[in-house]
Amino acid sequence: MRFVDEYRDPAAARALVSQITELAGDDHFKFMEVCGGHTHTIYRHGIEHVLPPSVELVHGPGCPVCVIPMGRIDDAIAVAETRDVVFTSFGDMMRVPGGEGNLLQAKARGADVRFVYSPLDALRIAVESPDRDVVFFAVGFETTAPSTALTLLQAREHNVTNFSVFCNHVTIVPPIKAILESPDLRLDGFLGPGHVSTVVGQRPYRFVPAQYGKPLVTAGFEPLDILQAIAMLLVQIREGRCDVENQSPRVVKEDGNPRALRLLAEVFELRPHFEWRGLGFISQSALKLRPEFAAHDAELRYSVPGVRVADPKACQCGEVLKGVIKPWECKVFGTACTPETPIGTCMVSSEGACAAYYNFGRLHREAAVALGRPV
Amino acid sequence: MTESTRPDTFADARAGARVDVSADPWTELAFASLSIARRFAASATMWCASPQWPSHGRHVAVEFVHPVIVGKRALPAVSVESTDLVGAVRLLARPGDVVLAIGTADDPRVTRLMKRADAWGVTGLWIGAGPRPPAGAADHVVWFDGLDATFSARRGDLVLLYHLLWELTHVVFEHPGLLAVDAPCTDDVCVTCSDEGRVAEVAVVLDGGRAEVLAAGHLETIDVSLIDPVAPGDLVLVHAGVAITSFSEARREAFSDPQRGDVSERKRDE
Repeated sequence: MRFVDEYRDPAAARALVSQITELAGDDHFKFMEVCGGHTHTIYRHGIEHVLPPSVELVHGPGCPVCVIPMGRIDDAIAVAETRDVVFTSFGDMMRVPGGEGNLLQAKARGADVRFVYSPLDALRIAVESPDRDVVFFAVGFETTAPSTALTLLQAREHNVTNFSVFCNHVTIVPPIKAILESPDLRLDGFLGPGHVSTVVGQRPYRFVPAQYGKPLVTAGFEPLDILQAIAMLLVQIREGRCDVENQSPRVVKEDGNPRALRLLAEVFELRPHFEWRGLGFISQSALKLRPEFAAHDAELRYSVPGVRVADPKACQCGEVLKGVIKPWECKVFGTACTPETPIGTCMVSSEGACAAYYNFGRLHREAAVALGRPV
Repeated sequence: MTESTRPDTFADARAGARVDVSADPWTELAFASLSIARRFAASATMWCASPQWPSHGRHVAVEFVHPVIVGKRALPAVSVESTDLVGAVRLLARPGDVVLAIGTADDPRVTRLMKRADAWGVTGLWIGAGPRPPAGAADHVVWFDGLDATFSARRGDLVLLYHLLWELTHVVFEHPGLLAVDAPCTDDVCVTCSDEGRVAEVAVVLDGGRAEVLAAGHLETIDVSLIDPVAPGDLVLVHAGVAITSFSEARREAFSDPQRGDVSERKRDE
């Protein structure tokens, strides 16, 4: 058995779909998949098309690229265009538009912007280029934050003074809470993120059933993982239970990764508030460097505009991120906003709901509409 | 099921009787043929192994490598026999290759081989009969569910499967359009997702909490200080150059539920 299993066995999928159909009956259920990785799998494998109409999946804010507000991109560009700076970033941040263009355009204007796979690569560049100031654009949930924390510890240990981090790490629990309190949306349960939970464990989600009366099932990223998690949610509802359950015990443990959590606590502290694209300001939802790491904090080292930039009026990423509308219901989807020329962040990242739908689900839907079939 | 009531698949096929194409394993066989034809078209080699029945491993390799029909291309396939099957295939296979194994679901040698396919960047194809491996045990599981494995191996049912695999692979080659895969990426930026997790196999444990791992068939150095000590051969989940969990640990939990895993692997780990 492989362990991030390609759970794609058609017979097993058919059995699960039958079970889901039977459990759902004539009622209508709306579940949110929190993680962008789930959204990607759902569109890529056409899961929406095999589910009964009584089960609706709503795509949540779990793509770290999609939730970064435009103002922070402008701040990143300002740092990147500072003299002698080498600005490093994951590849998917390069085309995210801010108010003043994106990082690729800054690179075209002459800024030294490079993409890296890991913050450790950025630290290596700093060690090899002592005459340059290397900044890492840190983005991601609790899955990626440990790698940034580890890098900062190494930078401090080896006294790499020309390395700093522009920290935009976010945490998964506050946006779930914000969505639960949103009047726009009525959900029946959540598919919890698999990989984030390898770090944070299952405990942080307990408030979802305890305070809001909604079940949550942590799920892996293969099609059968998702179908099984949906079935588990429905079983809970039909049995009158409301718990946090783990569909993916092969990677997610109850306590997560305690060593990684200790490391996060050592390096980061919670910001009082942070702006999420589409969700607005959410208190204690993002991480910043502790004062002990001030020497490596790019926000203290460089002057950034720090201006809040409103999303383009035509862009409805906010509603998509909250699951209020589907990607194709956005006014600019597939016309002005495409993966080549994205207006909103949801169209940039491969985990963004719009990009996933554009790449995998669009033609199926268009064909179904043309043939007069239900979509 | 008694022997007399078993569907005589191979005999039916040889006699020209109608075979139920709606049932497994035929659909998966077609997908597997398409998949490996595309890999062969991109210069793959197929490494074939059957620890339980080595002659099947040799047979399927010969089947692919000799152009029995004039005008058909020979497809590179090699039989691998070793007491350390994982080590041998790890040494030989390159990213993009195919690993074909013939064996029962409870053969730990095949299980260990197949679960490393992602880390090595190869396509895994598992042919067998009897109780089926867990869903997702390989990229393609081509299986006779209702048959006794030993009987099928002897009678020729498994031979039928890999003969058809060979035939269908050549059918794909007759339609070059089917060989086209996604266009190569021409984007100006490699989209390295900020939140992507990948499976990797530890190759060498280095000092300073680092390890050299195989991820999608390529060696890279990652940090393993956030997980319990690893050893070569362990599988880990890597995010942004740092291992955040080890499947060796998860394996014990996963296999603590007999519904989820194979017993032989559990015994080995214990």
